[in-house]
Amino acid sequence: MTNFGSNRPETQVRPPRQGASPAPLQSHHAASQAAGHVASALSMRGIGKSFPGVRALDEVSFDVRPGEVHALVGENGAGKSTLMAVASGALAADVGTVLIGGVPLTQAQPEQARGLGLGIVRQHPALLPDLTVAENMALGVGYQRVGGLRRAAAWARETLAPWETEIDPRARVADLSMEKRFIIEIAKALALNPKVLILDEPTEHLDAEEVQRLFTKVRETVAAGAGVVYISHRIPEVKQIADRITVLRDGQTRGTFDCEAVTEEQIVERVVGRTLETVFPAKEPVPASAAGRLVVTGLSGHGFDDVSLTVRSGEIVGLAGVQGNGQAELVRALAGLVPASGEIVVDGQRVRGSNAAAANAGVVYVPADRHGEGVFLPLGVSENIVARTLAKVSRFGLVSDVRARSTAQEQIRGLAIRTPTPDTPISSLSGGNQQKAVMARTLLAAPKVLVVEEPTQGVDAGARVDLYKILRAAADDGAAVVVLSSDNVELEGLCHRVLIMSRGNVVEELTGAEITEAAIAHAALTSTSVRGQEKTRPAKRRRLHAWLAGDQAPAAVLALIVVLLGLGTGLHNGDYFGQLNLNNLLLMLAPLLLVGAAQQVVVLGAGFDLSVGPLMGFLVVIASYWIVDGGNLVLGLVLMALGALAVGVLNGVMVTWFRINPVVATLAVYMALQGIYLSLRDTPGGTIFPSVAAGIQARFGAVPLVTVIAVLLVLLLELALRRTRWGVELRALGSEPDAAERLGVRVRLIRFTSYVICSALVLPAGIVLMAQIGVGDGRPGLAYTLNSVTVVVLAGASIFGGRGSFIGIIAAALLAEQLVNVSPFLNLSPAWGYWLPGLITIGAAVLYAQLRRTRRTGAHA
Amino acid sequence: MTPRPTDASRRTPSQDGNAMDGFDAGAAWRRLLSGSWVGIVVATIVLFALSPAVAQGSLGSAPLLSMLPFAAVLAMAAAGQTLVVQQRGLDLSVPGMIALAAALCTCMVQSHGWPAWLAVTVAVLAPALVGLVNGVLVAVARVMPLVVTLGMNTVLLGTVLAISGGSPATAPGGLSRFSVDRTFGIPNTFVIAVVMLAVGGVIARRSAVGHRLTYIGVSVPTASALGIRVTLYQVAAYGFAGLAYGAAGVLLAGYTRTPGLFIGDSYVLPTVAAVVLGGTAMTGGLASIVASGVGALFLTQLGQLLRSLGWNDAQQLVAQAAVLAAVVLLRQAAPALRGAARRRRRRVLPTAG
Repeated sequence: MTNFGSNRPETQVRPPRQGASPAPLQSHHAASQAAGHVASALSMRGIGKSFPGVRALDEVSFDVRPGEVHALVGENGAGKSTLMAVASGALAADVGTVLIGGVPLTQAQPEQARGLGLGIVRQHPALLPDLTVAENMALGVGYQRVGGLRRAAAWARETLAPWETEIDPRARVADLSMEKRFIIEIAKALALNPKVLILDEPTEHLDAEEVQRLFTKVRETVAAGAGVVYISHRIPEVKQIADRITVLRDGQTRGTFDCEAVTEEQIVERVVGRTLETVFPAKEPVPASAAGRLVVTGLSGHGFDDVSLTVRSGEIVGLAGVQGNGQAELVRALAGLVPASGEIVVDGQRVRGSNAAAANAGVVYVPADRHGEGVFLPLGVSENIVARTLAKVSRFGLVSDVRARSTAQEQIRGLAIRTPTPDTPISSLSGGNQQKAVMARTLLAAPKVLVVEEPTQGVDAGARVDLYKILRAAADDGAAVVVLSSDNVELEGLCHRVLIMSRGNVVEELTGAEITEAAIAHAALTSTSVRGQEKTRPAKRRRLHAWLAGDQAPAAVLALIVVLLGLGTGLHNGDYFGQLNLNNLLLMLAPLLLVGAAQQVVVLGAGFDLSVGPLMGFLVVIASYWIVDGGNLVLGLVLMALGALAVGVLNGVMVTWFRINPVVATLAVYMALQGIYLSLRDTPGGTIFPSVAAGIQARFGAVPLVTVIAVLLVLLLELALRRTRWGVELRALGSEPDAAERLGVRVRLIRFTSYVICSALVLPAGIVLMAQIGVGDGRPGLAYTLNSVTVVVLAGASIFGGRGSFIGIIAAALLAEQLVNVSPFLNLSPAWGYWLPGLITIGAAVLYAQLRRTRRTGAHA
Repeated sequence: MTPRPTDASRRTPSQDGNAMDGFDAGAAWRRLLSGSWVGIVVATIVLFALSPAVAQGSLGSAPLLSMLPFAAVLAMAAAGQTLVVQQRGLDLSVPGMIALAAALCTCMVQSHGWPAWLAVTVAVLAPALVGLVNGVLVAVARVMPLVVTLGMNTVLLGTVLAISGGSPATAPGGLSRFSVDRTFGIPNTFVIAVVMLAVGGVIARRSAVGHRLTYIGVSVPTASALGIRVTLYQVAAYGFAGLAYGAAGVLLAGYTRTPGLFIGDSYVLPTVAAVVLGGTAMTGGLASIVASGVGALFLTQLGQLLRSLGWNDAQQLVAQAAVLAAVVLLRQAAPALRGAARRRRRRVLPTAG
């Protein structure tokens, strides 16, 4: 038992499940029976869900009537998100039933829940960053509702109008601030006219005015007969908006109340109230003489502002607050992982801001994301344990396996890490044992400052006790310990002092006997400081930056370079503008355009196709057997088409269904095709039927017809990319495959077809190449692999997929061809024929990478 | 190799609670199929054992002696590629690097009158320098490795043209004598490759630097959280890769006497194939330089064998592609097969797990 009750004798702090309480209280059973005559908007009965080692939900019943706002409150880890994941079909419950609008949810499928009329706005918006606002909304609510993609922008503008924020429907989501993304997400969910709408922490990213607008919208929605589930930490806001409140604690409902009948205090009392069931080692008082080991002064960074704190040797200081108030960022700044201004001093030595500097100063960081940042999953337990102190297990500069093993064994025994052998991959250990291994690594480093984030998240009760002992031992050995935890019981049991953060500032400090779970929760939940508006950069620079990072900017810049380079060369040598050269330039442009567009299709879907070049050569060699004197033109073309199709299907199948890295898969095909055409024609042979070749090279003035056709084809692709469902889905796939799949994009089909379309576009490129070289030879095709990549990179496509334009392909292909074309006119050595494209490819890639990086940080600043 | 986690590269979540499940009959298979040197060593031994049966006399001293130098060059280049793949990259600048080294140690002597020792030193070091540039572009400027190395390859080929003036030159006599000579009956090139791979292997497996390179390849965030200078190590990895290509290029130039200007072109694919054969995953992390070397030996011997069966170079390309595809498919299928095996076991022993 804690001293909790004695602090607030006027109320019973920890009521039993349906305990006597001063507030008028309805049991949830009564509530659902009272609403029995109308079908509940959402009704969940007897929901149970267990994760390994944790009982997340236990016999939870929850009911939302049409026309009410029902708040769901509880601490981090109380089970709110799990409950809503079950309601929305994202997670299957072990037991219990879910009814949406009276219809049971039979399968744990988000689509079914959506179909039944459930809308959910998650804490982290599920939007595709590389798509525009309008496209995101169209994907999210379905094309029919929007009235087709053509109307999407207008529809989005109408839908967003009531929010009175300036969101351009054509803006890319990645460029928008978090609050705007959230508004889009809410507007999207509301547009579906849901029977029940779940809002998960909706006000985290909103300022006061936007919160009020949200509330207006919520009231409208409710007035229209829908039910709203409102999940929040912020009790004052809950009091303002909710009709009923259900409290969840440790996976159990602790009662449902009429909002007007309870006070803020009474809600908080029910939210907290976990017993100190885990045994905490006794807190040793920190000697008054202990020096400040970690002194932080005026530290500011992304998410936190002007934080100062001192932690003495042997002291454990807790960081508390509602998630997302800058604690995590502060802790990462202490570890040197994120940039920060201000001063961090360890033992009188100032620490320069890098991870290595922090590590050298004796700061050891234990991250919360154990799988992502804590352990090396495929490596053995012993390797994980000694990873930070390799020097201690080395002899003559080489890491000794024997020493590493014995050191690790010692730790494994000392901390009771349960593992079959020291070499077992750490991925096969339980969460608690993984965390113990991380702590073993930490202790071996003899930390001066130990920064621990969520030390016991996802850890079973037994391991918890051990972990607390380890932390206490580290402090007793003289380390200054900073613990960030969302478990207030843990903070109460461990810490000498607790700092509460809200919106990036330390707003309260609790010491000694003040540190109680209730006090921490109270301080965190009732802080309603409002996040300041984002600082904006000068409008002019921002606009230039935004334009430079846009899809069509590269095309304009490239076109300018093409014109300048052309003019310069022309002035130097008049023949450059001769019809002969222009015709030649434009003719050579056609295959480059087509192959560049082909590569662009795959790259937009976050793939890669190295086989385009050899495929062109392969097609030329096929042609040299049939499109010759005495051959059969139609049969030849059909065979070429079949060849291209087969390669596309092969690439697509390997990448999509066998999940082979696209580079490796297409590299193998690259080799194979090269081998095949070389076996067919070791030396050039088989003259292409001259009249066919001439026909393909027909021109209109200086302009070859094929080039016009190629340009038209590429423009058509651009149109398809912007205006068709395929285009949106391709970019969605390239942007974020998982999110796209959740939004109902047929990811596999789109990925597979992107490879087929790519090869299909190589076919005309091969035909033009065939006409140009006029003889069966595959080798000239090979260079087009690099050329296609050069064109795509120049065109400014994010090589990670999702964005890019085909207009850019036209400009980039023109520039690439011109670069090859100008060197003889400028009397440049043949080496420049290589240097120019190579350097320009690298230069463009670096430039675009930097632009994108500044844009990304700009959007989040 | 795409930095974004794709379906293929996503880590399998840990299976909490079945820590004891690690020991099963499938473990041997898993080790054989997914990422370890055992598979390629067994395959190479089997290949050599079968060689005489497939083509008589293919294990005679003459074919072996003509095969080993090429295996040596490929092994060295594959060692470099291994370092890059370990950092989740892919190095397509191998042809340019090898060609640059070959051009420097031949043309600089023949056309510019450099002393042989200087030309050879520069030829080995210049690709290392270019590798460092690659590393900076990848790790600092955050450009996709594929784009950097593809572009760099073109720049290098241009440089080769500029250095050579468009025509190949002959390697200095000392270098080619050394490359063709044998020590105790073993080709010098092969001895050099073995020594280099042994040293590289020890550094990679045993030194703190090697361990940290593995950590970074496995997980950049975890390595950063440990306080490792991730960028520095990544740049260094590309630098050492360049050094390996440089050494390979010099030996190749010496052995072939008058190397063609674009002699490196046929090396990019085999290096990737050797790395994959050696069990290094394209998703980075655990990598073995020595296993890649064995993979190079396997590929070269396979080529030799096919050649003795009358396959020409073009058909060899198809064979290499088929081997690469087969190995990757097998690796990809291994988890599924393992899963099937486990399910079967579960059915037999319902109490398991």
